[in-house]
Amino acid sequence: MVENPGVGIIMEKVTLLLVDDESDFRRTLAKRLIKRGINAIQAASGEECLKIIKNDPVDVVVLDVKMPGMDGIETLHQIKKEYPEIEVIMLTGHATTQDGVDGIKTGAFDYLSKPIELEHLLGKVRQAHEKRARETEKQKEADFRAKMEQQMIDTERLAALGTLAAGVAHEINNPLAIIRESAGWMISILKRDELAGMPRKADFEMALDKIETGVERARRITHQLLGSVKQTDSTLSEVDLKELLEETVIFIRKEANNREIEIIQEIDPRIGLLWTDPYKLRQVLINILTNAIHATGPGGSIMITFALVGNGVEFTIQDTGQGIPREHLKKIFEPFFSTKPPGEGTGLGLFVTRSIIDKLGGKIDVESNLGQGTHFYIRLPRHPDVAVDLNER
Amino acid sequence: MIRIPTRVLLVDDEKDFVEMLSLRLQEAGEKVSAAYSGKECLDVLEENSIDVVVLDIRMPGMDGMETLGEIRKRFPLVEVIMLTGHGSTETAIEGMRLGAFDYLMKPADFEDLTAKLQGARKRKDEQEERIRQAEAKLLMRKSGGAF
Repeated sequence: MVENPGVGIIMEKVTLLLVDDESDFRRTLAKRLIKRGINAIQAASGEECLKIIKNDPVDVVVLDVKMPGMDGIETLHQIKKEYPEIEVIMLTGHATTQDGVDGIKTGAFDYLSKPIELEHLLGKVRQAHEKRARETEKQKEADFRAKMEQQMIDTERLAALGTLAAGVAHEINNPLAIIRESAGWMISILKRDELAGMPRKADFEMALDKIETGVERARRITHQLLGSVKQTDSTLSEVDLKELLEETVIFIRKEANNREIEIIQEIDPRIGLLWTDPYKLRQVLINILTNAIHATGPGGSIMITFALVGNGVEFTIQDTGQGIPREHLKKIFEPFFSTKPPGEGTGLGLFVTRSIIDKLGGKIDVESNLGQGTHFYIRLPRHPDVAVDLNER
Repeated sequence: MIRIPTRVLLVDDEKDFVEMLSLRLQEAGEKVSAAYSGKECLDVLEENSIDVVVLDIRMPGMDGMETLGEIRKRFPLVEVIMLTGHGSTETAIEGMRLGAFDYLMKPADFEDLTAKLQGARKRKDEQEERIRQAEAKLLMRKSGGAF
């Protein structure tokens, strides 16, 4: 720590709010503080002080105890209640140290007795400011750690869920095949000439048809699940992103046209090649684009952007659809989370998407505003094995 | 015209599946045999003429890929369609590199299966026809030289 009461550099960014009803004293002190490089602003009362804090960020408050109206201790209470991060130095009258002690008990950083010496005040302000800086730093660190821990928990939970789901899917495929062949066999028997006049034949056919539809639905789910986990042998190659985008758009163009949705493409001409798995990446883009189409009404638009960022590329897909409610945003990457009616969505699209992006060494993020649309960001490194810090903007 | 049935051999350790698919294929007019392991599959091929083997990749003991290798070695004209229960198609594609005609994912679509059976049967017929023609040519040349 630099112990230099000569101050100057370290104090330059401090915003200090001086609160005192004695205007001469206040103005003189403020002038002297400004001369020493501190951004000193003034308030004549406790009420004015709170109003200023509400609108502008303040680092340190120097607060007179004795004021008409809301007094210093009450003002201190209010400040600490709403803005615990602001440090307060109390100014007490000569020989009334009790006020200062009360102030410290309420959460003030320290107190000074009037008449005050400028150097003494500057020293206290600097200490208060340093304490504040330390605490902000600590808070940031704690937030960051909490976020990382949450991310790890999420990732682990998704991985565990995925493994379990894939195991179940695999085991279910065999009995599913048995059901399918049994129903199919009965259907073909019913087609025999000798059964043309069978009583209630139509009922049997109808029920068998339902079995087939049900099997098909279950089959879609198991295949998607297995597809999400079995990716160890994905094949990497150099992919021309411009071609990939064109191919992808061909897949979804028709559906977009049917729903009168405009597809806008923006690609950085320098985007070049990317080492990745073209099939998986295309699957990811199609998944997100299909969701975007389903969420967007006629006359809406979907914007696809391929841009260069740092040591990789960023794909963004932005729709003008209905948006995703905040309470759903956390869940959209979980397996089996779907807002579509039963049978229409498997709830696996984004789950699969996320596990693919993870395996390709990338990152996927989503932002959404209800009624305005949703914005997906995907970042991929130039090569999946190159560890790129994709958090850096 | 009378359709000549394809002689199909179903190989899978799931007995119920083999049984039901056999019934269904028989109903569709094919001639079906069944085997419940890779080894049994080779035994059946030894004793019977088979056009197409429908072969599950995942089986205990001798698995699908190993069985495929043996079939290619010992019965090179028999066509093989791989059945995979995985979401992964890589093994099946590897099987095709080794000579399998095609693959299907379980549970397979029956129309797909019959189409692929026909394709496999056609490839086998054509190959056998070419062999017959080559043999005929050889015979002609030999007898021509006898004059």
